Amino acid sequence: MDWGRVKFFLGEVVRSFTRNKGMQATAIGTVTVTIVLIGSFLIAQASLANVGTQLMRQIEISAYLKDGLSSTTTKNLIAHVKADPRVLSVDYIPKKQGLAELAARTKGSLDLSILTENPLPDKLRIQVRDTAMIPAVAASVHALAGVADVKYGAKVVTRFLQLTNVLHRVALVILGLFVLVAGVIIANTIRLTVFARRREIAIMQLVGATDGAIRLPFIVEGVLSGLLGSLIAIVILAIAHMLLWNRLASALPWVPLNGAAIRPLVLGAQLLGAGALIGAIASWLSVGRYLRT
Amino acid sequence: MLRKNPFPSMISLRNVSLAYPNGVHALDNVSLEIGKGEFVFLVGHSGTGKTSLLRLLYREIAPHSGEITVDGVRVDKISASRVPILRRRLGVVFQDYKLLVDKTVWENVAFAMQVTGAHTKDILRQVPRALDLVGLAHKSRMYPGELSGGEQQKTAIARALVNNPKLLLCDEPTGNLDPGATTEIMELLGRINIKGTTVMVATHNQGVVDRMRRRVVRMENGRIIADEERGFYHRGLGESQVLSG
Repeated sequence: MDWGRVKFFLGEVVRSFTRNKGMQATAIGTVTVTIVLIGSFLIAQASLANVGTQLMRQIEISAYLKDGLSSTTTKNLIAHVKADPRVLSVDYIPKKQGLAELAARTKGSLDLSILTENPLPDKLRIQVRDTAMIPAVAASVHALAGVADVKYGAKVVTRFLQLTNVLHRVALVILGLFVLVAGVIIANTIRLTVFARRREIAIMQLVGATDGAIRLPFIVEGVLSGLLGSLIAIVILAIAHMLLWNRLASALPWVPLNGAAIRPLVLGAQLLGAGALIGAIASWLSVGRYLRT
Repeated sequence: MLRKNPFPSMISLRNVSLAYPNGVHALDNVSLEIGKGEFVFLVGHSGTGKTSLLRLLYREIAPHSGEITVDGVRVDKISASRVPILRRRLGVVFQDYKLLVDKTVWENVAFAMQVTGAHTKDILRQVPRALDLVGLAHKSRMYPGELSGGEQQKTAIARALVNNPKLLLCDEPTGNLDPGATTEIMELLGRINIKGTTVMVATHNQGVVDRMRRRVVRMENGRIIADEERGFYHRGLGESQVLSG
């Protein structure tokens, strides 16, 4: 290890970093704002993802069985459906229980005593692991011998899936725009620091420094700005989370916010990585302009 | 006819033409041979193509047409990624020194090695040697702002020499200097040449050229119009006048 080289390199980075304090502050501030936005987005996404899951859990498939199946056939049928890896659980609801449930649900507004016999079929209540698979599972259950009909909240399910899909895409587009805008601002800021050092770059080129050797200190500088900016953003997010989370949860009691879905360490690492990446790319692009002369 | 040269070739230009994007013809079918170990003055009025010719040699610009060879390397065909390798084999000195004002003399000279990835032990050996050669060892801790123009140019020359180049290109090296400093710088360039480095100096300075009596290549309107051994600033006075092309 040639410590003299390391010392020179670090010295150059520190010198450049401290020389343009105003511009560095601008770059760091921009990263901070961007990372706060990205971080809020990721937190919102994680804590709200659960809302969808919980809503979807209430959606189930009802498979109505043909009349007069023997108990063995019914058992086989249940076992067959249970064996499907996509299926979470299967409940067998004989027609008697079905009627009782219906009576309970309608709470006497329907007079069921007029019925001379039970018109309801036996039924399987099927829960699926992934809501996106409901239509497929329903179709395969419908195809089984002994199943008369299959019902699920088809419209509700497809609507909900469409809605979450659209929301997800919109959010991604917005996030992408944030990153783009931040990248442009940071690239411009770094270009100013590069401009201030164009004489140095010209001399480096003159004495035979490679493009890579010229770029490296600027990229390290950009990564440092990015890391510093995201660090500040993470502190801001942590404080905001501490102050606002409980208030938000009590203000919106019907929204099942899931605080456990937020993993602070993973999120922190992701945000630091994003900041460093933004800084590195912005520096790369800014220096590139001065190399191709 | 190309000039017959007793030295193996250091610089060779064959039918080199250069036009700038604005249509100005900087060089017009220039051919020139410079041997290893030669000392050559490049003279002529401003805007006659002296600087353009030098810039072609260290590949700051590429020619429109023609062949350029520097120390065996076809500079006109070199790829962008090889340019740094070429530059490490030659030194360039300018009228405005091009020093970094926030670095000391020592740091300015060492910079040329540091940014090309030299090892520290080589830097510690070469930098003092270069500073000794130009006579600035005692001012190595000073900043360019604390030096005279001549001393700044000596620093620039030390930086150009620190990688032991075989060729030193100087563009108006004494353009900003008083007569005393000019003499010192030219004597220094002469000493560097005696040690084996090929030296090429573009200059306006008639006194320098006439006193040193070296090979003089005269340019006018992008062409070489005279090439004389032991020449004077004005053409036709030197010995063995040979016209190129």
